[in-house]
Amino acid sequence: MTVGRHLRLAAAQLKISTQAALEYRVGFWTTGLVNVLWSLGGVVPLIIALDHRPDVAGWSPWQVALLTGFYLVFSGIYAALLQPAIGASMAHIRNGTLDYLLLRPVDGLVSCLLAAFEPWSLLEVLTGIGLAVIAAIQLGLSPSVAELGALVVVLGCGLVSLYALGVLMLAASFRALALENLTYLMETLLEFAHWPVSVFRGPLKLLFTFVVPFAVMTSYPAQSLMAALGSRQLVGAVATAVALAIVARLAWRRALRGYTSASS
Amino acid sequence: MSERERVGLGRKLAAMWRLGFAEATAYRASLLVWVLTTSMPLISLVLWRSLAEDGPIGDYDQRGFDSYFVAAFLVRQLGSSWVVWDLDRQIRTGDLSTLLLRPIHPIYHHAILNLSALPLRTLLAAPVGLAVLIATRGITLAEDLVLLALAIPAIMHAWLLNFLTQLAIGCLAFWLTSASALYNVWLGAYIVLAGYLVPTSLFPGGLAELVRVLPFHAALGFPVELLVGRLSPAEAAAGFGLQAAWLAVMGALAAVAWRRGLRAYGAFGA
Repeated sequence: MTVGRHLRLAAAQLKISTQAALEYRVGFWTTGLVNVLWSLGGVVPLIIALDHRPDVAGWSPWQVALLTGFYLVFSGIYAALLQPAIGASMAHIRNGTLDYLLLRPVDGLVSCLLAAFEPWSLLEVLTGIGLAVIAAIQLGLSPSVAELGALVVVLGCGLVSLYALGVLMLAASFRALALENLTYLMETLLEFAHWPVSVFRGPLKLLFTFVVPFAVMTSYPAQSLMAALGSRQLVGAVATAVALAIVARLAWRRALRGYTSASS
Repeated sequence: MSERERVGLGRKLAAMWRLGFAEATAYRASLLVWVLTTSMPLISLVLWRSLAEDGPIGDYDQRGFDSYFVAAFLVRQLGSSWVVWDLDRQIRTGDLSTLLLRPIHPIYHHAILNLSALPLRTLLAAPVGLAVLIATRGITLAEDLVLLALAIPAIMHAWLLNFLTQLAIGCLAFWLTSASALYNVWLGAYIVLAGYLVPTSLFPGGLAELVRVLPFHAALGFPVELLVGRLSPAEAAAGFGLQAAWLAVMGALAAVAWRRGLRAYGAFGA
């Protein structure tokens, strides 16, 4: 019942924002295309590394392409769904008008996460899926059912982690003014999701596996298709996603308690 | 300019400086996030140094990457400005009218506001840079003291080049509604081509030569390479020449766009 209500809200928001975006057709396609080019531009350092070396930390060029496909999927979801919603909610917090979102007959956090969408960035998600399929064909991959299952699990974990990080940013913006740029920081950090996690050493490897788990979003999905994902990594991904989700929910509740709207 | 006017301008600029500094201090948490946002070179450092573990890549060994990216972090901090977003907003909302009424030119206003955040920004960036310096056990700078000293004007030119580029693109808001979106395109090219994620000399073959004459390299890669001593005196002179050329181009574009734009400017209620 309540799940249905939340899903209907998400569908309505997606429909409204797509219709609004299509009012400006030229803007829709150019912004979408520019975003794809932006994300592909981030691959240049990888191409340069592959120009000097036969592989990057054990990843061949087509394996890197597969990883890049998953990168595009996640960066597209971030740009299309998460960043606009967080940005809009932050503006509401600053103006003291968050009440409008909280008073809806749905969960307050879900309401914030559905506050605004920019559907043209979904073009990036489609490009990513296309690239991943092409790379998988080039690599001659024929994943088994178990491997596809692992893929679904890690993709789910990646999505949960990404949203948990978004909620943490939102919770932080209750405390300090003018922290919209946190979403840019996230965008910057996403640049490093381009690289296989095996490139990183020491504390950065831990950071990108467990705290800001880009490994779960890009490296693990590619590895699961290549039958190179161990069960320990799979368990680690699930544990990370669950832990991040719990921390995010607690941070959100704590932040909301400190919220005083414009009129109170 | 008479003596009195000059004294007056000095006092106005000093007042603007204090205003900008106070603003930067008030939003220090936000400024710290900006410093972290521009700390990408430091993560690139870790990446490339681990790629260079089994031998140098191009003409960079591990220590070469350490030096290059620490310097890139420094130059990125000192070269930063954000006039394009302010100008774009002020033109769209009509806030520019207020600035035009003030006894100081709006471009000076923006230049001073952007410059006055640099001391605090450097202070916030210093611990980050210092931690990296300790972790990498120091870096190698240019041995030739003259070339090392020349890095200072090169960094100043880089700041000016960034500022003028943003000004020229920001002025497009007089006619377009998406000037800052256009700047995002520029920024995307900058990140890839300026030597921010990877030194431009590592680009393959003829591409490297092409990339190194573009304004992006003049605004970051050139001062960085000068600082870490990768340039001969002749190459340094060529780099300064390129910087001067791009400064002239961007300055002229910004001046034309500003003059014509003001004529087209119709603020609400004006």
